[in-house]
Amino acid sequence: MTVTSQTSLTKPSVLYRLRHLSWQGERIDWSGYVFVLPFFLPFLTFTVVAILFGAYIAFTNWSIMGQPEWVGLANFREAFRDPWVQKAFLNILRYGLIIVPGVTLLGLLFALYVNQRWPLSAFARTAFYSPNVVSATVIGLVWVWILDTQFGLINNYLGRLGIPNIPWLTSTRWSLIGVSIASIWWDLGFSFVLFLAALQEIPSELKEAAAIDGANRWQTFWHITLPQIRPALSMIVTLQLIATLRIFSQVYMMTNGGPAGSSVSVIHYIYTEGIVRFRLGYTAAVSLMLFFVILIVTLIQQRLIRERD
Amino acid sequence: MVADLYKRFQFFLKRFNLRAGDIPLWLAGLIVAVMWIAPFVWMVSTSLKPPKEVLTKEIEWLPRTVVLDNYQKVFEYPVLRWAWNSLVVAGTATFFGVLFGAMAGYALARLHFPGNKWLFAILIASLMIPTEMTIVPMFVGFLRAGLANSYFALIVPAIPNVFSVYIFRQFFMGLPDELEDAASIDGANRFQIFWRIALPLARAPLLAATILLFTTNWNAFLWPLLIVFEEKMKTMPVGIAAFTPVVGTHTQLEGFGIAMAGVTLLSLPSLLIFFLLQRYFIEGISRTGIKG
Repeated sequence: MTVTSQTSLTKPSVLYRLRHLSWQGERIDWSGYVFVLPFFLPFLTFTVVAILFGAYIAFTNWSIMGQPEWVGLANFREAFRDPWVQKAFLNILRYGLIIVPGVTLLGLLFALYVNQRWPLSAFARTAFYSPNVVSATVIGLVWVWILDTQFGLINNYLGRLGIPNIPWLTSTRWSLIGVSIASIWWDLGFSFVLFLAALQEIPSELKEAAAIDGANRWQTFWHITLPQIRPALSMIVTLQLIATLRIFSQVYMMTNGGPAGSSVSVIHYIYTEGIVRFRLGYTAAVSLMLFFVILIVTLIQQRLIRERD
Repeated sequence: MVADLYKRFQFFLKRFNLRAGDIPLWLAGLIVAVMWIAPFVWMVSTSLKPPKEVLTKEIEWLPRTVVLDNYQKVFEYPVLRWAWNSLVVAGTATFFGVLFGAMAGYALARLHFPGNKWLFAILIASLMIPTEMTIVPMFVGFLRAGLANSYFALIVPAIPNVFSVYIFRQFFMGLPDELEDAASIDGANRFQIFWRIALPLARAPLLAATILLFTTNWNAFLWPLLIVFEEKMKTMPVGIAAFTPVVGTHTQLEGFGIAMAGVTLLSLPSLLIFFLLQRYFIEGISRTGIKG
């Protein structure tokens, strides 16, 4: 009896030792790995592995047929000269310049309104958020109809103001703006909700103090509200900008990139060139370029935010 | 009489924290709110009009005669099959997305093991990587593996959802230790504790994650668009998308009535879930701060 207990003390089994292994002063809970596995196995496959594989494809002439060959930087060299790539990258910046301020300003305005808790504010909240829950197909088709040159709602109402019909989606001059209008309508709910949550977290004492000091609504907003929602504001701008640089579905639904590529986005170009024409190596290279643009934009923005704070 | 009315009016203003000078602003906001949902009204109204009344010179917000012809025509396409595909795909992906998300969120919040913090850091870093970055390699991978054009291809990549993990991690971090300690003294193992104690307590995050993931999966567009080649394997958003005049020809041939009937059917589930469960919807979004 004593002998056995002694041996188990001096030579514990591997399993026993593993079970009682500690890390950072606490016993390791091995079941943690079992818990995270079902999520992290597919997650890492579809992100990390996919990205590494994509980076490899970008240096090959991968197509649907035949064996892919290593082509070095040829895809990137071609992409830099490709006028469509230039057009697509310029366009996503244009989309960003229209959609991001539109969504941010309107979202904030609507959130300020709903936050007043005036009668029927619950209805307004539902209304402002509702487009955000439907799919791109709905957004695209409804707005193709509303922006129709001849019979669309918008041109009809503009016509009453004496403005001639605008070819929203069928002219090179307007197509990007037409798609942006629909995108603002679709995306606004997201920034609206985040602004509303941020506004509701402002301590009411701050506003009361401002009111006692005789501050008007604009002063209260500028000196009390805005500094308080700054973190939310910068997060919304960052996320919306990243989302806009990736714009695809609305473009596909409303203009298919046209006319003459005037509304084409980078992802849309990747879709038509890669998935439809099977130039997979080349579009993997364009994807990688988009990734770096998004990375740079994000880093610049975070730097700006940090410096201001 | 007038004095009484005035008193009531004053009371109304006070009760809703509304100053008399704010009334124009209040009304203007309501008008904007009504205009904001007008596209939905226009969508439903157009879908109920007979084809001849769709293209009119004057705007008619309500159909003169309500007919279901457009809906009948939509059903000449395999809409029911698309809806079934969407239901299977979104339902399965959501179920496993929530379950695996809850498990991972629980482990990251409460279990002590090396790599715990690293895994969470990878999770957050992945939000910076646009998912579209991976579409070309994923497309190649699924094609080469012979898995394209299948439920498998539609469902499996949609299962790992970062927001699901995030929502549950946040919740389980705030859970007091005592509940679990009592169970582990009773001899329950980790899985029993998770399944019988932790998960039943997580009703609010379960609902928030389910709603968020289901709408994300129901509305998914790019991946289903490119990984499916057959009409009968399409999901509903991709199937209905063929009605857009720039890609398909249905609308050019048959007008916007049928297209609006299609998108009305497509938006019905999302809008209905939203109206019924609004609170959880908005909670889920503001809790994660991120769109699916």
